[in-house]
Amino acid sequence: MIYDHIMRTRRYVPYLFLLPAIIGLFGFRLIPIVWAFLMSFTRWSVYAPPQWLGLANYKELFSSELFWGILKNTFVYTAIYVPGVMIIGLILAVLVNNRLRGIAFFRGLLFAPVVTSAVAIGMVWGWILSPRFGILNHVLEHWFSVSNPPAWLGDRNIALIAIAFVAVWQRVGYQMVLFLAGLQDIPTVFYEAAKIDGANRWQRFWKITLPLLSPTTFFVLIISIIDSFRNFTIIYTMTRGGPGSSSTTLAYAIYQNAFIFSRMGYASSLAYILLIIVGTITLINFYFKKKWVKYKY
Amino acid sequence: MGVVKKVTLYTSLSIMGFFSVFPLLWMVATSFNSSGAIFKVPPTIIPDMLFKRGMWSNYVSIFKDYNFGRFTLNSTIVAFSAAVGQLITCSMAAFAFAKMQFKGKEILFGLLLATMMIPIEVTIIPEFLIMFKLHWLNTYLPLIVPSFLVGSFGTFLLREFFENVPDDLIDAAVIDGANSFAIYRRIFLPLAKTPLTALFLIAFMNNWNALLRPVLYIDKESLFTLTIGLTNFQSQYESQWNLLLAGSVVSILPLIVLYIFLQKYFVEGIAGTGIKG
Repeated sequence: MIYDHIMRTRRYVPYLFLLPAIIGLFGFRLIPIVWAFLMSFTRWSVYAPPQWLGLANYKELFSSELFWGILKNTFVYTAIYVPGVMIIGLILAVLVNNRLRGIAFFRGLLFAPVVTSAVAIGMVWGWILSPRFGILNHVLEHWFSVSNPPAWLGDRNIALIAIAFVAVWQRVGYQMVLFLAGLQDIPTVFYEAAKIDGANRWQRFWKITLPLLSPTTFFVLIISIIDSFRNFTIIYTMTRGGPGSSSTTLAYAIYQNAFIFSRMGYASSLAYILLIIVGTITLINFYFKKKWVKYKY
Repeated sequence: MGVVKKVTLYTSLSIMGFFSVFPLLWMVATSFNSSGAIFKVPPTIIPDMLFKRGMWSNYVSIFKDYNFGRFTLNSTIVAFSAAVGQLITCSMAAFAFAKMQFKGKEILFGLLLATMMIPIEVTIIPEFLIMFKLHWLNTYLPLIVPSFLVGSFGTFLLREFFENVPDDLIDAAVIDGANSFAIYRRIFLPLAKTPLTALFLIAFMNNWNALLRPVLYIDKESLFTLTIGLTNFQSQYESQWNLLLAGSVVSILPLIVLYIFLQKYFVEGIAGTGIKG
């Protein structure tokens, strides 16, 4: 190929094309990743020079109740968010995967919250969940005669759960779209054959749709788990980690320790815990992918 | 399709659709309430200022008294520059990965892949120190430059697209005397209009909606983006929900309008590039 010949004579050309990406990769990803690792072994409050502490930050982490609380919050949020967006996302995808007049309108409607900012969403939900003036408690009190409706974001036991539900509400259109694409990839011959064999709708869903959807499900699972750790914006907007530290997750705690408490070293050790969790989950998923995504057509 | 099934489907879709837009409608409704009406019990379903004189007064107020015009301009500048940058960075890198052979290709690609999933919170502390050392705090630069230069998902999306462009097109251009930049600029970019549009919109959306970087890098009000303008307003004027939600409407309206007209690109781009920014 002529083109190959030209490329071979000017070896630097590909690197010119890659220059911005390489600067970005090293400057804003690789170097900060290594730097954060080193910082996690220091005490550093921006204004004074860093001081080597060895493993002290990690020791402090593992012996502090606050840290285990934060870790628990992080996983509670994930445990609500991931099944929430996946199950509702799949149901929505099945619903909008019908040839109906106006189906594009419904798809558009269900996806719309995904493009809006989590800040604006946090604001309006804060208003909806307002204990005294919010519409939700009004409906609970007067339509469903709940006598003592919860204080939602003001309640230590509920704030985090409420935020996770808001996140599910906002993001589920995304999982819907991914599942929809997966559903539309399943060849219709399978359904026609099953119909001839007398399989009912449920049997077709469990025996054809779910197994053939498993590659999509796997992909959506990874994306949703990773997505669930990126909750800084909605937490910052809705509760700033409160009341107390009852809705503080890892992402928020990193920000809080580094930039409010000026504990850059300690915050870096939190950042590394987050990195290890994300890395582990990705690896586990890749391992299990081979085991349970086995249907090919 | 049977009538029963049709009715069931339309009913379920309408219920789901209602839940998915109700909070947005409630945001709009509250933004047309006067400060007295928002604290009425029971809540007023029809906003008291709607279609009356002074209906737009909340909106006038956030633009006149609280600088939301400036915030909108700042968000536009930041999101537009970052998105254009991402198109440049990703398309050039994707072109090299798709059509060129060079040393270190596998390693570079592997590194992009490996760092793709790492949340920004992991790297934000060193990034802050870099911005601090560069004296970029309280400028647009720290909001633009990292998104300008980092875009693994966009690179993958475009690489896949570019790989499917036949080599014959390149050969023909080479015979005509085109160099590799001309080939990238005149053949590949025009062919990739659809994925480039999708990528632009997603990058624009992600940067428009971003909060962490503005919170860290900006404390001068004249440089606030809409997101930090809103959270700042929220902490200062806690009970003025009508103004806060008018501001929220302003902050989501541009994206909703873009979404209504370019829905296909948004859906394709989000499904293709995955994950929020």
